[in-house]
Amino acid sequence: MKKQAVIAGVGESSYHVRGRSPDSEFQLACTAIRNAAEDAGIALADIDGFVSYNDQRNDPLRLARALGIRDLRWAVQSWAGGGNNAAHAVQMADAAVCAGYAENVVAFRALAQGQFGRFGQSRGGGRTMDGDMAWKAPYGLLSPAQECALHTARFMHDHGISQEALCDISLACYANAQRNPRAVRYGQPLDREKYHASRWIVEPFHLYDCCPENDGASAVVVTTAERARDLKSKPAAILACAQGLGPMYGSSAFQPRWIGRMYYDNVGRSLWERAGVGPDDVDVAQFYENFTGPVLISLCEMGFCKPDEVEAFVANGALEGPDARFPFNTSGGNIGEAYIHGFELVVEAARQIRGESTCQIADAELSLVVSGPGYAPGSALLLAKT
Amino acid sequence: MTRHLGDDWVLPELSDLNRPFFTSGQVQVQVCDDCGVLQQPPDEICGSCQSTKLSFRATSGEGSIESVAVVHQAVHPALKDACPYAVVVVSLDDAPGVSVIGNVLNRDPGEVAIGQRVRACFETCPSADGEETLKIPQWEVV
Repeated sequence: MKKQAVIAGVGESSYHVRGRSPDSEFQLACTAIRNAAEDAGIALADIDGFVSYNDQRNDPLRLARALGIRDLRWAVQSWAGGGNNAAHAVQMADAAVCAGYAENVVAFRALAQGQFGRFGQSRGGGRTMDGDMAWKAPYGLLSPAQECALHTARFMHDHGISQEALCDISLACYANAQRNPRAVRYGQPLDREKYHASRWIVEPFHLYDCCPENDGASAVVVTTAERARDLKSKPAAILACAQGLGPMYGSSAFQPRWIGRMYYDNVGRSLWERAGVGPDDVDVAQFYENFTGPVLISLCEMGFCKPDEVEAFVANGALEGPDARFPFNTSGGNIGEAYIHGFELVVEAARQIRGESTCQIADAELSLVVSGPGYAPGSALLLAKT
Repeated sequence: MTRHLGDDWVLPELSDLNRPFFTSGQVQVQVCDDCGVLQQPPDEICGSCQSTKLSFRATSGEGSIESVAVVHQAVHPALKDACPYAVVVVSLDDAPGVSVIGNVLNRDPGEVAIGQRVRACFETCPSADGEETLKIPQWEVV
């Protein structure tokens, strides 16, 4: 049994449509971290660790100076991919705290796609591309949406899944975002007709199958259960984390051999084994949806249903609202709340345990985050009431 | 126009690992000289036995479409006129476990479907530095 660390504080900046943030990405990061520390009731100077993922810009030296950190003892980042490592960032904070390497570790992600590059757009623009991109770019295979579309198209073909199942994921995110004033899509409801009428980005993805590009930051403070008893906010216990890859693996996460998969089998297996619970025990789940299709695949790979059951699993509003049959992406997720590379899902999962969601389910005992279906290695996080 | 996505579109930067695929006029895949396993994309080590003795083997260039994504929104301005276009994953008949990426040249994107039989064809053009001739594998539904 692992030692128990907890998420003792959560925080975020305001969330913005891409390019509309009045603050720089680094300022957004600092705001989210300050809010998380204040929520936990710890002084900024007492933060002694930083964890992020896929972040080359908001480095710990700059953060330590900006936030007045006295004694930094843990500064790490996850390898590979993108939003797939949001839960793993918490795992590395958990590992540091449980091992005693640091006491108050902040896991966070800041993203200003207005100030910096857009993930959905092609990198480069030179005459040639090398490495993994040399196999893809000459054929116009350039973006995460296109790669996830290839996986989703095969999954739909193999299991007789219709466009309606993809639509149901998007509708749930939009419906839940209508309850959340922080959400970028708050006040902008979506219905089935509007979904189907929206333009194709890359078949089988309509516009509304794709998360938007946003500016914002979110953060959590991880510390020991003992220390959290003296802090002001209600902690969420880190029951288990998992990161995983294989045997389905890929160069740059996309491997044509393993088409139709999301590489989450062993993430689920590790998570349930470590937590001593199974999918049926989960009360509320946040699934990373860069695009809707990967959610369907990862629902199956995490063990919630079989591929030939997944269309029924998500149909008829089964994912919408606090009384949903399967409470899902209750803040609106990447699609409805904001695309903070999936870290906003970690914040929401903790809020569910604390009873503070804008789409609060009754008696949330176990709260799941599945980070970044679409890229590998995948990761997941299971929070529990202390 | 000799290239499906436009003659000015991105070319592969040639390397020892991809030169056989992009210049031979055959669909070549990497083979391990020690254990015989095929792998694609090629790498500097065999993923099955960790040998570094690797070479390339020509395939028949015949296969099946494993998946298709029809791209409507250009993610690069230079692809605007090429949209919509179909990106396919093709499994090769005589290279079990290996798939390659390409476009289908002889069908409208909406007519490309999983399971269709395809045969390789090649787009011939100079490499970016003008030093070599590229023969970029592409696909036709048969």
